[in-house]
Amino acid sequence: MESTVTGRKNGDQPPVVQYDGVVKRFGSLTVLNGVSARVNKGEVVCLIGPSGSGKSTLLRCTNALEIADGGRVVFEGQPLPKTEAELRHVRRRMGMVFQNFELFPHMTALENVAVGPITILGADPAEARAKAQALLEKVGLGAKGGNHPSALSGGQQQRVAIARALAMDPDVMLFDEPTSALDPETIGEVLNVMKRLAEEGMTMVVVTHEMSFARRVANWILVFDEGRVIEEGPPAQIFDAPTHARTQSFLSHLGWNG
Amino acid sequence: MTLDWNVVWQYRGDLAYGVLLTIALTVATMAIAVPGGIAVMLMRQSHVRAVSFLGTVFVEFFRNVPLILLVYWAFYVLPILTDIQFSAFATGLVAMCLNVSAYNAETFRAGVNSIRKGQLEAAMAMGMSRSQAMRKVVLPQAIRRILPVLASTWVSLFKDTSLVSVIAVGELAHTALQIRSQTFRVLEMLTAMAAIYWLLGYPQAKLVDWIHRKYGVTE
Repeated sequence: MESTVTGRKNGDQPPVVQYDGVVKRFGSLTVLNGVSARVNKGEVVCLIGPSGSGKSTLLRCTNALEIADGGRVVFEGQPLPKTEAELRHVRRRMGMVFQNFELFPHMTALENVAVGPITILGADPAEARAKAQALLEKVGLGAKGGNHPSALSGGQQQRVAIARALAMDPDVMLFDEPTSALDPETIGEVLNVMKRLAEEGMTMVVVTHEMSFARRVANWILVFDEGRVIEEGPPAQIFDAPTHARTQSFLSHLGWNG
Repeated sequence: MTLDWNVVWQYRGDLAYGVLLTIALTVATMAIAVPGGIAVMLMRQSHVRAVSFLGTVFVEFFRNVPLILLVYWAFYVLPILTDIQFSAFATGLVAMCLNVSAYNAETFRAGVNSIRKGQLEAAMAMGMSRSQAMRKVVLPQAIRRILPVLASTWVSLFKDTSLVSVIAVGELAHTALQIRSQTFRVLEMLTAMAAIYWLLGYPQAKLVDWIHRKYGVTE
């Protein structure tokens, strides 16, 4: 393991997120069965694997939307706190993007992006709106600020959701299958925004079924199966020379041929 | 049998005052019972067992007691409990508020539960507290969704205010019944009363229909 860790981007620095033997059960079902991994500063780590293998659950344990039953999640050197009040402060530094966007339907796109800084950080509303407008322009939706989510396409909604998460100036962005609910023709616009974000050096944890995105953009891949990380490495290694039989069969099921 | 409709015109001032009180009672009840309903709903949803129990008891009690009994009860019990002599209007208002708050609490609960979990999660993931998420994200959507139900409650409430006539609140029903017993113009006054309630209630019902069409279905 040592050699791979030092070979990673910013591997010599303390990780932004570290998972130590994370266990999560839903009733009698063990969804995460001792996952250990790290996410370094500025890395794009993609979580891949079959449905139900625990990828999304690990992501949701990162910002304590799910509380791990065993092991621990360490964020910027501190294990996740236990109380809701302390967790709020940690969550502010993590942006999250959901499969179903979860934009607030009663607010315009601009209000969606500005509501966090105004409500949570007590930002000046005029400044927060100006910043929200800049973020909407950054994701290519500068003209759509006045639209409600229902008047936007799926891809546009997801880009607003990314802007909303960025408005809190997070240290890490968590993406939970951000393109799985999209029409094929709008997937690209969302992936492009994510790719640009990665190029700017944002630390990103991405649960995805978009293998070509993982291949092109990720610095590190975690392959999940049955609640464990069965293989990890740089994309070239995972996609071109997977060592684990389950990885090979998973990739071939997706029609991945290098 | 001769009908003398003149009596209605003769007492128009009293009737108009009765209408005013009926409207005032409806508005005041709703103005209190909407925040009241939200408060009781939040109590029911509380993670503190004792608080949620109190909320449940409130709803189940005041929803399942006949309103007219509640009106009488408030009339006799309130002065004993509080040692204050309430006016008839205030007493009626308390009774109506207890009943309608219980109904509204259930309406709000249904509304809040109909907002999918992901919305709350998105708010929490940004770093909002539970109460911020409730105020900014869940309640505004829930209220919009239950607006048709609240409007229906309003129309029922408007008519139900007539029940406080039993403790001599001088609203429309009480006024009309008083005039009836003074003039013995039973048929005229009851007909006039029905006509006035209908004339006031019908546009409200139409408004409710309109609200149903505008806000009834979302997503």
